Amino acid sequence: MTENLFDINVKVAGQGGDGSLTTISLLGNALARRGFHLYSTRNVASRIRGGHAAALLRGSIEPRTGMGDNIDVLVAFDAEAIEIGGYRVAPHGFVIYDSSAGPLPNGFLPEGATVIEIPFGRLAVRDLRRELFKNSLTFGVISRILSLGDDEAASVLEARFGGRPKLIDKNLQALREGFKLASSSGFEEDSGPLRLARVEADERVFISGNHAAAIGFLAAGVRFFAGYPITPATEVLEVMNRHMEAFGGVSVQAEDELAAVNMALGASLTGVRSLVATSGPGISLMQEGIGHAGAAEIPLVIIDAQRAGPSTGMPTKPEQSDIGMIIHGGTGDFPRIVLAPGNPSDAFELAVKAANLAQRIQGPVYLMLDQSVSQDSATTAPFDISGVEIDQGARLSQEQLDALDEYRRYKVTADGLSPLAVPGMAGGMSLVTGNEHDEWGKVSTNPVNRIAMMDKRARKVDTIKDSLPSGLRFGHDTSPIGIVGIGMESGVIREAVERLTVAGIALAGLQPRTVWPVPADTLEFVASKERVYVVEHNHEAQLIQVLASVGAPFNTLRSIRKFDGVAFTPGELVDHIATAEAE
Amino acid sequence: MTTTYRPADPIWCAGCGHFGVQTALSEALADLDISKEEILLLAGIGCSGTIQNNLGTYGYHALHGRVVPTATGAWQANPDLTVIAAGGDGDGYAIGMGHLIHAFRRNPSITYIVMNNGVYGLTKGQDSPTRQGTPSLDAILLGLSILETTFIARAFTRASDQLRDLTAAALRHAREGRGFAFLEVLSPCVTYNDTYPQWDAEYLDLDTDTEHNPTDRTGAFGRVVALQAEGKIPIGLIYRDPTTQPGSFLNPSASNIEPTSLTKTYRDILDHYRI
Repeated sequence: MTENLFDINVKVAGQGGDGSLTTISLLGNALARRGFHLYSTRNVASRIRGGHAAALLRGSIEPRTGMGDNIDVLVAFDAEAIEIGGYRVAPHGFVIYDSSAGPLPNGFLPEGATVIEIPFGRLAVRDLRRELFKNSLTFGVISRILSLGDDEAASVLEARFGGRPKLIDKNLQALREGFKLASSSGFEEDSGPLRLARVEADERVFISGNHAAAIGFLAAGVRFFAGYPITPATEVLEVMNRHMEAFGGVSVQAEDELAAVNMALGASLTGVRSLVATSGPGISLMQEGIGHAGAAEIPLVIIDAQRAGPSTGMPTKPEQSDIGMIIHGGTGDFPRIVLAPGNPSDAFELAVKAANLAQRIQGPVYLMLDQSVSQDSATTAPFDISGVEIDQGARLSQEQLDALDEYRRYKVTADGLSPLAVPGMAGGMSLVTGNEHDEWGKVSTNPVNRIAMMDKRARKVDTIKDSLPSGLRFGHDTSPIGIVGIGMESGVIREAVERLTVAGIALAGLQPRTVWPVPADTLEFVASKERVYVVEHNHEAQLIQVLASVGAPFNTLRSIRKFDGVAFTPGELVDHIATAEAE
Repeated sequence: MTTTYRPADPIWCAGCGHFGVQTALSEALADLDISKEEILLLAGIGCSGTIQNNLGTYGYHALHGRVVPTATGAWQANPDLTVIAAGGDGDGYAIGMGHLIHAFRRNPSITYIVMNNGVYGLTKGQDSPTRQGTPSLDAILLGLSILETTFIARAFTRASDQLRDLTAAALRHAREGRGFAFLEVLSPCVTYNDTYPQWDAEYLDLDTDTEHNPTDRTGAFGRVVALQAEGKIPIGLIYRDPTTQPGSFLNPSASNIEPTSLTKTYRDILDHYRI
């Protein structure tokens, strides 16, 4: 018996639509009550129903943004769940198998695993909705495995179905069926094979990066959103459609990404903070508009929830392969900023910074996510709106404008930032164009003017570079060996560093949060190490290319990358690095 | 008084129809007594995509084909502005046609003036989707076929009084918040597709046509199709939805963005995520 289990990984898998999310969410509630942090992810095909799908949950005392190496409890609603996921079941893990789907497939589970077979199909209890029944029954079995008290498990159900007495009764009935089945496997109340710890916990929210970012943008004054449905960015559109109006703003579902980005440019022209959200294919379509924001100096924030490419790629799978397009895409040279959060609270914080930075540089700012950061959920302290500050940059008030003798929209200034008046303001009339233009906004191909304007635009980012979010350090800062990762790698590289420390390998870790321009703290970190492992999800080592392009010593960078649509586990990184360091 | 940019001189060839469009727009804006700072004039890419430089208003040079969504976003963000989109037939009916359909459907209270000359002038004479003698399309019929359409008119630069009056009517329709005001102007390109002689012979004024009722969508559609079959090009007020009412709209540009003023709304949202 494992006393005081501090970290548990559970997977519920079956045909899409089996309701696996309900089991996971019941278990999540139970774990949260014990003070556990939660992390959850899904493994789905890009289709509405059917196809093999899985929901995964990790509960841990330490906050984690990634699954552990092994699955402690696998709930398999079909044989495929065993065939696909059996290899990751922990050596002494537990498997709940729906035996009405056929006999347990042989040879996929570790020898020490305990299998509890339940013929759900033959347990068709009258008046119980089958899916709910399955979930509550399964939850009953799991709660016995984890030695949750029966009353504790029941109270989780009651909270979930609160106020709906009929539902509660039926689900409690199913829960008790689960207890009975667990007893027949020898798992009596409070004496299961595992024993979940209990700790004190502060107030928490359980939220995905997409939701956190969207809320961050609302808190930071974004009042116009335009989007087009695309996996894995759609939740941003959904949150905006649902909540924008309460903030006095407008959220539009455009006819395509071209319309979306141009609507946002139009809205931003009027001084309203504007946002678009999409994934790689949509970013491809928005490139022209984003470049226009750069040339015409229009504030704009773009969310790229990256998915596996190229082209339509693997829509539901994570990748970090738009880095090159984001940093270099579009015609010509124009300044831009790229921020990359690693978890939901980071997404909230960087959304606020992105909204302000777009106003400050009067140009495009990306919030670069990946499918894991976008759609996986994690627990975190509720975001504090009182810490949000609004910075309107060089935006003029009517009084300030009145005090000027003349107003030139693109005035060449020492810091590159031109004071900004918006339509409706008297005396601020201006011409805004993506053609090269003079200070008044009139089209010009004069070579002297051209150089002045290109330099002016480039200076803007230099001016604000001290305000760019710095990277987060972890591990052993003085170690000569470094590890770097962004977005979805942020959690797993921290966990790998912890384990490598135990194994006697000290690593200094850095999670850059500003990817472009490459900030000084990133370069200093990389330059100070004998070798640096750079962990990323793409084929071409795009993050390494970015670092090397600004002078990071290429021969010290060691690439660890994959592009199979699956997140790294901590164990994979530990094995890779331990092997490399032993050589 | 703050000095701002000096309006530019038009770049168009002598005899270009676009001069007439600019004059009509300028006079209509003066008639309606709209101050320049309240006007956002957006134009696409092409010869017509320079009109925004000439009137002293807030001007915006949109990406090719994207003037309509840009204007829509600007109006949604600040519906108190008089938002006018302008452009050519290549810009609006070729690369940008997808957006026009959705503008009819979405019905934002903006004015859209398309200067139709059947040709790409700035790139020296390629066919546009409205070039006569090629498989061409008709945006008037397209607009009539979308049930949300509220205002459709066609003018001809030769008939300058009517052009001015229709421009004013379109601007009024949009300013009153009644919806999307679509005005196509037959505006010949004297250099690459001089259609003056042909259009002089072909145009027919619906405003004086006793068989035409501009409040009858079905009738208007039939009349336009019938006239086209006779080789005529109908101009005038084609259709105006008689049921539209002045609208009032949320104004995001006037919303409060100070976080402390939003604490309750914000907390209510965050409560959904508590565990």
